[in-house]
Amino acid sequence: MILITGGAFQGKTAYTEAHFHYEITDGASCDLATIRHAQILNRYHETVRRLMAENMDAEAFTRNICAENPNCIVLIDEVGSGIVPMEKQERIWRESVGRCGCILAQHAHTVIRCICGIPVAIKGDLP
Amino acid sequence: MMILVTGGSKCGKSHYAESLFEQYTDSKYYIATMQPYGEEAHAAIFRHRKMRAEKHFQTVEQYTDIDRADVPEGGAALLECMGNLLANEMFCGDAIQDCADKITADILCLHKRLQLLVIVTNQVGSDGFRYEKGTSAYIAALGKINQALAAYADSVVECVYGIPLVLKG
Repeated sequence: MILITGGAFQGKTAYTEAHFHYEITDGASCDLATIRHAQILNRYHETVRRLMAENMDAEAFTRNICAENPNCIVLIDEVGSGIVPMEKQERIWRESVGRCGCILAQHAHTVIRCICGIPVAIKGDLP
Repeated sequence: MMILVTGGSKCGKSHYAESLFEQYTDSKYYIATMQPYGEEAHAAIFRHRKMRAEKHFQTVEQYTDIDRADVPEGGAALLECMGNLLANEMFCGDAIQDCADKITADILCLHKRLQLLVIVTNQVGSDGFRYEKGTSAYIAALGKINQALAAYADSVVECVYGIPLVLKG
């Protein structure tokens, strides 16, 4: 597994498209059942939002992906560097994204953080 | 030579950016993009101007159309900051201006006539909030400009609590 993270609009998708020529599944809109077969799963932070809306356990779901789809390339926004949100659902979502990101990073052999379009390997080496 | 300096709020970007000019004694310019609204801004600008004069920077104010900044050919300039410049260009009319490509082009044009251009920008897309349309468009535009400039720059540096992390160059 490779995890690609960074803030919003830092070039994660462009980097992925340029270096990995697999089909990209949009985690914000895809059929949740297809995630276990996804080659590249984009916007996982939005998947977490969808899982919450379906009252599903996002962390358990994430562990399942790591077990069932261990070669997946997952893209997830960094979302935890602001003020704690006023709204409870947003708070729960932000925390859940953080925890899920940690699970993915733990299973990934490589973690890449994009900033200003520049990929920096923060775990393993750049492929 | 173009150097892009990024990072969060109060991370030591300006201080680091200024330090890149130590070898330059004259023809050293500070391009200020913050528009002076209100007394506090005026006081802050006065303080900063004085501080920079001590460091031998000449301050040039340019709020939009940055390629028109009054900096001579072959000079060295510090542009601070991209966040203000984008806000000035983007929210100058009734409608939100789609100006990311225009700003990037202006900067490349300015860079062409300079020996050194150091640009201070900001990281604003890591808080996970869903903002209203104008703010979302601003975050997207800043990300787009930063990516374009980073691709073009000789060096890109992220500051973390005053520590410069070299991302490129």
